[in-house]
Amino acid sequence: MLRVESVVKSFGGFKAVNGANLEVGAGEIVAVIGPNGAGKTTLFHLITGHLSPDSGRILFKDREIAGLSPHVLCRMGITRSFQVVNIFQRLTVFENVQIAVLSRERKTFRIFSAVQGMAAEEVHSILRNVGLYEQRDVESDLLSHGDQKVLEIAVALGGKPELLILDEPTAGMAPEETERCIRLIRKLSDEFGLTILFCEHDMGLVFEIAKRIMVMVRGGTVVQGSREEVRRNREVQDAYLGEAGEC
Amino acid sequence: MGWLANLVSTGTLSQVLVGLSRTTILFIVSSGLTLILGVLRIPNVAHGSLYMLGAFSAYTVISLLGGGLSAFLAALVIAPMIVAAFGFVLERGFFSYLYDREHLMLLLLTFSFALIIGDLVKIVWGSEYRSVTVPEFFQGSAEIFGLPIPYYNLFLLLIGPFIAVFLWLVINRTKMGKIARAAAVDAEMVSAVGINVGWVFAFTFVLGCFLAGLGGALIAPMVNISLGMDHSLIMEAFLIVIMGGLGNIWGALLGSLIFGLTQSLGILIWPQFGIVFPYLAVVVVLFFRPKGLLSPTW
Amino acid sequence: MKKTHVAFFLLLAALCSLPLFLPRFYTYIAAIVLLTALLATSLNLAIGYGGIYQFHHAVFYGIGAYGTALMLTRTPMPAALGLLVGPLASALLSLVMGVICIRLSKLYFGMLQISLGSLVWATVYRWYSFTGGDDGIHGIPLPDRIATPDGAYYYTLAVTALCFFAMHRIVGSPFGKALQGIRDNPVRSSAIGVHVKAHQLVALVIAGFFGGVAGSLFVVVNNSVFPDMMFWTFSLEVLIMCLLGGMYTFFGPLAGASILVLLRVFVSVYTQYWSLLLGAILTLVIIFLPDGVLGYAVRRFRPVEGRRA
Repeated sequence: MLRVESVVKSFGGFKAVNGANLEVGAGEIVAVIGPNGAGKTTLFHLITGHLSPDSGRILFKDREIAGLSPHVLCRMGITRSFQVVNIFQRLTVFENVQIAVLSRERKTFRIFSAVQGMAAEEVHSILRNVGLYEQRDVESDLLSHGDQKVLEIAVALGGKPELLILDEPTAGMAPEETERCIRLIRKLSDEFGLTILFCEHDMGLVFEIAKRIMVMVRGGTVVQGSREEVRRNREVQDAYLGEAGEC
Repeated sequence: MGWLANLVSTGTLSQVLVGLSRTTILFIVSSGLTLILGVLRIPNVAHGSLYMLGAFSAYTVISLLGGGLSAFLAALVIAPMIVAAFGFVLERGFFSYLYDREHLMLLLLTFSFALIIGDLVKIVWGSEYRSVTVPEFFQGSAEIFGLPIPYYNLFLLLIGPFIAVFLWLVINRTKMGKIARAAAVDAEMVSAVGINVGWVFAFTFVLGCFLAGLGGALIAPMVNISLGMDHSLIMEAFLIVIMGGLGNIWGALLGSLIFGLTQSLGILIWPQFGIVFPYLAVVVVLFFRPKGLLSPTW
Repeated sequence: MKKTHVAFFLLLAALCSLPLFLPRFYTYIAAIVLLTALLATSLNLAIGYGGIYQFHHAVFYGIGAYGTALMLTRTPMPAALGLLVGPLASALLSLVMGVICIRLSKLYFGMLQISLGSLVWATVYRWYSFTGGDDGIHGIPLPDRIATPDGAYYYTLAVTALCFFAMHRIVGSPFGKALQGIRDNPVRSSAIGVHVKAHQLVALVIAGFFGGVAGSLFVVVNNSVFPDMMFWTFSLEVLIMCLLGGMYTFFGPLAGASILVLLRVFVSVYTQYWSLLLGAILTLVIIFLPDGVLGYAVRRFRPVEGRRA
């Protein structure tokens, strides 16, 4: 579904992404891991249109998408959550997801209908799925950090994506919240058939749910393969996993 | 062909010189504005009012000292200092507590000061306009390219570069100036190094006000000193600063040159709409270089 | 919801009955208050709800007024058309200026808008033969019904009420919500499929249109137009009205405009130093009430509701 080929992005001489490759098949859960500063978030920004690559190709369903704007990509079926919580703070949980849904339904230019209660069914269903239904009328900046990260995902789901990209979905979460998030990701993949691409520092999580893993070091792809292949790869062991071979 | 000959001959050149003398005053005022904007990040809408205050103060100083060249020269020093003192009070009394507010707030705050200063001037000097006669030393005109240019305009033309160089020296060669430049780029760093940024800000603001007052004092002999001179000038000064690049002194110079020249040439070519030309120039520049001609400090 | 509906109708009824017991001058002032409130609220669509640095909104007010005035004085067209052309001209100008400025963000947008707006002002100011230049246009002919002070007032009241109703709907629409989303988080908005610039452009056109309506109302109430209507300092005054009343509430600008206009009228009776007073008030408001009068009131007396957008 998604193919990234030899993508390069520099910021004034510093190569944040240097020849990265990635392949995500339909319905898979793929993880990108790597040490801090390896360029994972930059890579995600390149895929979702927040940055344009200097060279290389990015193909979504065999269509070249490098350099397209985020809102165009959203319409094509790619949505994302952000590493640092990036929701609409002044709006309630319900309203946050509602905008995403209305945007997908292309209703955001309607100036004469009342927005109250629009798309309620779909929003409620998304909220129930992620477990935030009870808090639908709470102003979102009053939520706990973990709930806000879940809301991030819910907002991304509002766009009915085919490919969901999650940037460190469990960063800063307590263990129970992480568990909940893992269950949610599994559910999204199993029940709804979403293709999920995420990056994480929590190795336990990665090896638990990711079907394939891509390892990035210093902007480049070291290896991409199954759990076993990655675990056994020498370079990865040296550069990254070190003594964390307990997985 | 006739208009071309006219343009090439004395008409254009003398218009250019007149335009340039006005440029000096525009430059002096806008350099103050761009300094304040660049270092303190305050869009100082009160700058025009400070300029007006400078003009009225110069009038009073000259009247008190009985006119003449020495009175005029004294006014050129005293009037800006009055304005600078005023600015010091504003900075220490108000701005120093509010630097963390958004630009919009600071802009509106300076607007409220502009309103207050405007009326203060009305209270102290009344509503009638004043005038200052050009001191005898400067009366009359020289023949340049066959057309008379008033001596006073020539004076302005000459001191323009002088002031530009002086400013450059202050900003680049004095310790205060260098710290101010650093603070313009990163005030937090400067303060982290142990330098009292507050005094840097105060110094810069006071210097900016001094320049505004100087501009007002210099223009006093050329125009009717009246209420409302703040309004027209502040718009021009802001446009010049925007065109030149926020915080950039050379940008202010360049902007003033463009503004003054397009205005003079504009009036020559199309008398009715001549004053529209500078505004057009600003729009054209911003369209191609939205951040201004030269690099802004932020 | 019901309570506010009742309050609204009471207010409307009160406003309708004003001319019955107020002397002519005060009816005129009331009309000015209404159209200024409309102007301030239209600005707030851009700046409060859209987060766009609309620094020169007065241009649209002025063009709306001049458009109407010119149609009424120079063409034989019926007045109704004239009153419509003004706002449409503003909307068109808003679109053109918007397209030019929208590539920039925040402060730079504001500065380019000031430049363009100043260009418009300078052109109007110098085009003596067409716009009357510095003198403006006076003695604009109006249909008999709205030429009287009472008639002008009722017309203004009706149009203003209609416009407020429309703007309120817009704010509460999907578009309004998307716009606020853009204000709060443009990156997020883009990521959920919202074309940020397109929405902002629409907001600008709407704001410009209603600003132009306020301008055409001024023609009806005051029978004249002048270039100062689109001078930058007036744009700042309108900005102050939004700030004073509260930029993040719908009726904030109305409160701000009312306070400012009424204060100016009544204070001017006692002193000619109106600017001094305004400046002092503004200073106090900026220092102590950053959310504006209404914003402060909302937060203090209705803390829960006050936290909602």
